Amino acid sequence: MSMETKRVPRPHVKWVLPSLSLAAGVAYFIAATLGGKLQLGLEMFGIMVVFGAALLLFGGRSETIRGLRGDERDERFAMIDLRATAYTALVLILVIVGAFIYELARGRSGAPYFWLGALAGVTYLVSVAVLRLRS
Amino acid sequence: MRNLVRELRSGRGLSQGQLADALGVSRQTINAIETERYTPSLPLALELARYFKTSVEEIFDVDGDKARA
Repeated sequence: MSMETKRVPRPHVKWVLPSLSLAAGVAYFIAATLGGKLQLGLEMFGIMVVFGAALLLFGGRSETIRGLRGDERDERFAMIDLRATAYTALVLILVIVGAFIYELARGRSGAPYFWLGALAGVTYLVSVAVLRLRS
Repeated sequence: MRNLVRELRSGRGLSQGQLADALGVSRQTINAIETERYTPSLPLALELARYFKTSVEEIFDVDGDKARA
């Protein structure tokens, strides 16, 4: 596991997540517009712009926002990030499995939840195998 | 994990921010260590010991009965 022990000031890093938010907003807008949902596209673009701007504006006061951005992240926040990622994956997998079972009970194939669940399972198994070799 | 970081830091007249800057971590991380909400990694524990010119065992107590006895 690669974990940053020290907080290394990386001023340029704070622009990465806001830039990705903006890029995602543009992608959502273009996709929604192509799908004939201009209003929805504008709303999603606006949400992503506000999110990205908030990351930039409030990072000076909030460790949480600086941690989300990745600048000045130390070993404790790297651990927090790792755990938060694990919790997120756990919730997602539980929802996917639940939705798969629900779809089966309704007489459907379970797609796409079957494939999403399979992807999660295979990813976990491969990750355990690779990380075991590297640890 | 029980530890003497707060006592050692206060004894040297340092703020949490000053110690954090010296060790290259956030002030919140120092606070979390002092309040036993976070157990530092071995490298950071060694850095703390080196900074205070003592040993890791003198700062951290796994059993929890030595540090604040």
